[in-house]
Amino acid sequence: MTLIFLLVLPLAASLLCLVIRSRAWLERLNLIAFSGVMALAFKIGMDVSRDRVISAMNGLLRADALSAFVVCLVAFVAVACSIYAVGYFRRDERAGTISGAQLRRYYGLTPLFVFTMLLVPLADSLGVMWVATEGTTLASVLLVTFYNRKTSFEAGWKYIIIGSVGISLALFGTIITYYSAVVVLGQETHHGMNWSELVGVAHRFDKSSMRLAFVFVLVGYGTKAGLVPMHTWKPDAYEQAPVPTAALLGAGFINCAVYGIARFNVLAAKCLGPEFSGKLLVGFGVASILVAAPFILAQRNFRRTLAYSSIDHAGIMVAALGFGGKLGALGAVLHMLFHGVTKPLMFFCAGNVQQHFGTSYFWKVRGVIQTLPWTGGLFLMATLAVTGTPPFGLFQSEFKILSAALAAGHPWAAFLFIAGVVAVFAGFLVHMAKMNLGSKQFVSGEMAPAASLETGFRWQYGAMALVTMFATSLSFWLPGPFYNLLEQAAGIIGGTQ
Amino acid sequence: MNLPGTQIGEQLITLFAAGMLVLQLLLVVQPMLLTNIRLFALQSLLLAGIAAIVAWFNNATDVYIVAVLTVIGKVIFLPWLLDRQVRRIRIVQEIDPFLGAPASMLICGALTLLGYVVARPVTLLGRLGNNTLAIAITLLLTGFYLMINRRKALTQVLALLTVENGVMLAAVALTTYGMPLVVELGIFFDVMVAVMVLGILVYRIRESFDSMDTSKLSKLRG
Repeated sequence: MTLIFLLVLPLAASLLCLVIRSRAWLERLNLIAFSGVMALAFKIGMDVSRDRVISAMNGLLRADALSAFVVCLVAFVAVACSIYAVGYFRRDERAGTISGAQLRRYYGLTPLFVFTMLLVPLADSLGVMWVATEGTTLASVLLVTFYNRKTSFEAGWKYIIIGSVGISLALFGTIITYYSAVVVLGQETHHGMNWSELVGVAHRFDKSSMRLAFVFVLVGYGTKAGLVPMHTWKPDAYEQAPVPTAALLGAGFINCAVYGIARFNVLAAKCLGPEFSGKLLVGFGVASILVAAPFILAQRNFRRTLAYSSIDHAGIMVAALGFGGKLGALGAVLHMLFHGVTKPLMFFCAGNVQQHFGTSYFWKVRGVIQTLPWTGGLFLMATLAVTGTPPFGLFQSEFKILSAALAAGHPWAAFLFIAGVVAVFAGFLVHMAKMNLGSKQFVSGEMAPAASLETGFRWQYGAMALVTMFATSLSFWLPGPFYNLLEQAAGIIGGTQ
Repeated sequence: MNLPGTQIGEQLITLFAAGMLVLQLLLVVQPMLLTNIRLFALQSLLLAGIAAIVAWFNNATDVYIVAVLTVIGKVIFLPWLLDRQVRRIRIVQEIDPFLGAPASMLICGALTLLGYVVARPVTLLGRLGNNTLAIAITLLLTGFYLMINRRKALTQVLALLTVENGVMLAAVALTTYGMPLVVELGIFFDVMVAVMVLGILVYRIRESFDSMDTSKLSKLRG
C-alpha cells in the first residue's frame, strides 16, 4: 500500500496544480506533497530493511533494498529542491523574469517529474522501468526550457533528442534481453520482463544475445546518466534549467539512470560472468572521469562546471559497478548516497550566486564570501565535499572504489581514476577559491550591507541548512537500520542476494 | 513452431520487414517533407501487418492490440499531427540535407551491412523471424543517420520515429508472444507524448529563431 501511496501523492499534486492559480498554494502543495513523499520513502526504507522485499499491484511494483535506497535519495533531493524553489522563484518573480504561467508550469511539472523518477526504481518489469525513464525526459524537458530564452530551447532540444535516441537504444537492449530470456521462460510472458523473475534464471540466458543487449542498454541508460561520449546534453541542460530542476536532474535523476545500469549488470554478470560487463563499465566510467576533468579545469561558467562534475561522478559510480566485488558494490552505493545528499548544496549555492550577481561566469564574480557570507562559506565547503576531500563522505566512497579497483586487478584503471579525481579537485578548487574569496564586489546599484542581502535568501538557506545537515552528519554516522539497507542494496548490485 | 502455416508466416514477416527497410531507404533519399510523412505512415502500416501476422500464427491475442495501436497511433494519428504542423507553420518543403542522395545511399548500404554483421552471432539461433533482427538494427542505424543528416527539427522527429519503428519491429518479431501488455501500452503512450512535446518545442524554436534549422542551435558550447 505504501508503494501505491508514494506514487499517487506526487501524481495527485501535479494534477491539482493544474487547477490552482494562487502562488502561495502552489508552493504549499509542492512542499506538502514532497514532505509526504519523503515520509513514505522513509517508511519504505524501514519496511524493506526488515522484510527485504515488499510489492504491490500484483507484482507490478516491487521494492527491494536497492529500490528503496534510490527512492529515499530521490525523495530527499525532491524535498530540498521544493524548499529551495519557493525562495528562488519568488526572487525571479520580483525581478520580473518569469510570469505566473511559467510558475504554474514549474509547480505542475515538477511533481510529475518526481513521480516518474520514483517509478523507475519501483517498477519490477524492465519494460515499465524503461517507460518511466523515458517519462522522466518528457516530464522534465519543458522544465529545462523554463526560461523561454533562445538558449533554453537549444538546450531543451538537445536534451530531448539525445535523450530519446539513447533511451530508444535502451529499449532495444531491453527487448533483446527479453528475447534471450524467452529461450528459458517459454510462453510465460506475463512476468517474463520482471527483473525478480529474470535474475533467478539469468545463467541460462542465450549468451550471444545477452552480450548485444547489455551493450545497447549500457549506451542507452548511459546517455541518461551522462556518460562520455553521450554526455553532450548535460552541460546545456544544467546551465539553462532553473536551479531546482538542475539539482533534481543532477542529484536525483542520475541515481535512477545508474540504477537501470546496475539492474542489467546483475543479469549480464549472472549470464556471462562479471568479465564482459565489468570491462565495459570500467571503460565508460574511467573515460567519463578523464573527459570531465579538463572541461572542469578550463571552464568559465560555474553552472556548466556542475554538469561536468556530474559527468565525473556518473563515471565514478559506473566504474565502481564495473570493478565489482563486495567493495565495488558497496562503494557504488555509498557514492550514490553521498553524492545525492551533497550535490544539491552545490546547485543551491550556485543558484544564489547567479541570482545575486546576475551572471554565471566565474570571472565576473569575486568575493562571494564577503557579500553573501553563508553562501560563500557553504559553497567552499560543498566544493570540498563534492570533490571527495576528507572528512566528507565522498572521500570514503571514492577510497572504497579505489580499493575495489586494486582488488579486482585493474591497476591502470585505478591510476587513471586517481589522476582524474585529482585533476577535478584541482580545477574546482582554483575556480571556487577565486570566486568565493578575494575582495568584496557589489552588484551595480545594490549597496546594501551584507546582513540585509542575506535575508532575501531565507527559503534558500532553509533548504541549504537541511542538505548541509544530512551531508555532514551522514559522513560521520550512518544509522544502524539505514546502513543495513545500504549493505543489502550492495548485495543486490553485487549479485549475491 | 511445427504448425504447417509457420513457414508461410515466417516468410511473410521477412517480406514485410524487407518492405520496411526499402521504405526507410526511400525516406533517406526523398527530399519532400510531406512525402516523408506518408512514407513513415506506410512503414508503420507494414509494422502493424507484422504484428497481425505474429498474432495470427501464434494465437497471441495481446499482439493484436499492438497491431491496432500501431495503426491508430503511427499510421493515422501521428502522420496527421505532423502533417497539420507542416501546414500550419508553412515551412519550406525541401528537406535540405547535409549530404545528397547518392552519398546517403552509399552510407545506408554500409549501415545495412553493419546491421547484418552485428546480428549474425545472434541470428544463428534460427528461430521465427530472426532475419528481422538484422533489419531492426539497420532501421536503428539508418534512423540515426537520418537524424544527423537533416537540419530541420521536424525531420529529426520523423527520424526518431523510424528508429522507434525499428525497435518495435524487434519487439514484435523476436519475442513471439509480444511483450507484456502493460509495457506495450506504456511504450505507446510514451511515443505519443514524446511527439506532442517535440511538436511544442518545434513550434517554440520556430517562433524564437524564425527557422527550424537545428544547425542554428549552436550558442551553447564548452
